Amino acid sequence: MPQDAPPIQLASGEPSPAGAARTVKVWDVPTRLFHWSLVALVATGALTGLFTPEWWMGVHVWAGYGMVGLITFRIVWGVFGPEYSRVVSFVYPPRSTLEHMRGLLMLRPPHYVGHNPTGALMVFALAGVLIALVTTGLLALGGEEKQGPLALVVGYSLGSGAKRVHHALTQLLLLMSMLHVAGVVTESVLTGDNLVRAIVTGWKTLPPEAPHPTPRPARPWAAAALTAALAGCAALGIGWVARQPPPHGLRAVPRNATYDKECGTCHDAHAPSLLPAASWAGIMLGLQDHFGEDASLPPETTQALAVWLVGSAAETFDTEAANRFRTVAPASPHRITATPYWVRKHAEIAPAVFKRERIKSRVNCSGCHRDASSGRFDDQAITIPEG
Amino acid sequence: MKTWSLLAVAASAGLVASVALAEPRRDAILADLREQAKKEDPRFAGFSAERGATLYRATHQGKDGPISCSTCHGSTPLGNGQTRLGKAIDPMAVSKNPARYTDSANVEKWFKRNCTEVLGRGCTATEKGDFITFMSGQ
Repeated sequence: MPQDAPPIQLASGEPSPAGAARTVKVWDVPTRLFHWSLVALVATGALTGLFTPEWWMGVHVWAGYGMVGLITFRIVWGVFGPEYSRVVSFVYPPRSTLEHMRGLLMLRPPHYVGHNPTGALMVFALAGVLIALVTTGLLALGGEEKQGPLALVVGYSLGSGAKRVHHALTQLLLLMSMLHVAGVVTESVLTGDNLVRAIVTGWKTLPPEAPHPTPRPARPWAAAALTAALAGCAALGIGWVARQPPPHGLRAVPRNATYDKECGTCHDAHAPSLLPAASWAGIMLGLQDHFGEDASLPPETTQALAVWLVGSAAETFDTEAANRFRTVAPASPHRITATPYWVRKHAEIAPAVFKRERIKSRVNCSGCHRDASSGRFDDQAITIPEG
Repeated sequence: MKTWSLLAVAASAGLVASVALAEPRRDAILADLREQAKKEDPRFAGFSAERGATLYRATHQGKDGPISCSTCHGSTPLGNGQTRLGKAIDPMAVSKNPARYTDSANVEKWFKRNCTEVLGRGCTATEKGDFITFMSGQ
């Protein structure tokens, strides 16, 4: 039997009878798991980033770490995976892409077994946006929150800028996700090929005339070796970062027994990084009328505390709170709770909440912020007591 | 035998000294106040726990409404109090808190702040002595 073309590889292993529809295994288990895990993580990331209260930040961050892992896996599987998972199988010349788009406009797109050229464009765009999203997320986490692998090397201003990009990319990703689903539905309707079923079961039904090259098998050992190498590089990189001297003020708040006694007896001993030096100086000069109360101290104690507070003021820290509270309210520069940032962040909390037995007052940061005394104010460390 | 009895004497002396350690400092504070009280008021005839109790419970008109010592320190000096911002205050009664009124700088600091806050003026030496005498018996 002469063979001009290689026989079509089918699930059954049998060549297809001419003119009959065939079913082919297109998406293998790892690729399908990748797709649906990514859907779950993007949904988790979007929900915890856009809608849930601050203390869900931990879940948001872990969704991001999960995405880093998934993207890394997909790149490896894009090199060593089976035929249709390989990146080279869906890199098309511009001519094919234009032809496919023209076909779409005429409602008769040419059929492809794996990603079609227009879909492949969306795949690359989604991958690019996701990589940018996790990168800006890690920069914001390190720079603003002083958490994660970049906490020691990224400053607040870079983190803050990255967060703005992160927010813009979120909108873009949500828009692209909708376009992606719209594209899948369009393609499924026009070709009669149920793409949603394919990414669930892995199987596609092909029309008889569809070209179907010999699939290349996956190379799991090579993939495992590359994954191990990448994990090793990541570990070395994080290890290197962890050994860097912190240039961006990730220092611990020094404890001061006098401060804890003289100030912390009546109210929270606020971290000195929560107000700028000028405000602390002003507060210490006016202790005889300390927000309406006499809090006067012997001159030598006042002097010693003022020196310590000014030396540990917001200007000397790079935490989010320190950066934000450097901007005080001109009318009451001594009040942390009057700063524009404080007011904005607590705007949605009803006044009655601050009166609860375990909070008592707006001044008691530690009523809700478990890490208040450190000055860090992590989103994850917030618990609003019920009573 | 001689060594043993010497050691026993030394040990009991040390025990007595440590038990009574808080007392002399409070007595010294009261003695100072007594001197001042005599200067302030020639008719001064000693501190009164009864006057101290009245002072503790008397309500005054503060800038944010009625206020007394007991507003923050609790209706009985035997219990804990609470600052206006919710921080716990140890009991004022010496029986519950033997370290009270043993550090003269601390005593002066709080009388200065709280008399101004509650009475709207500084306390006299008589009032301070009455207060400590009341708390020492509680």
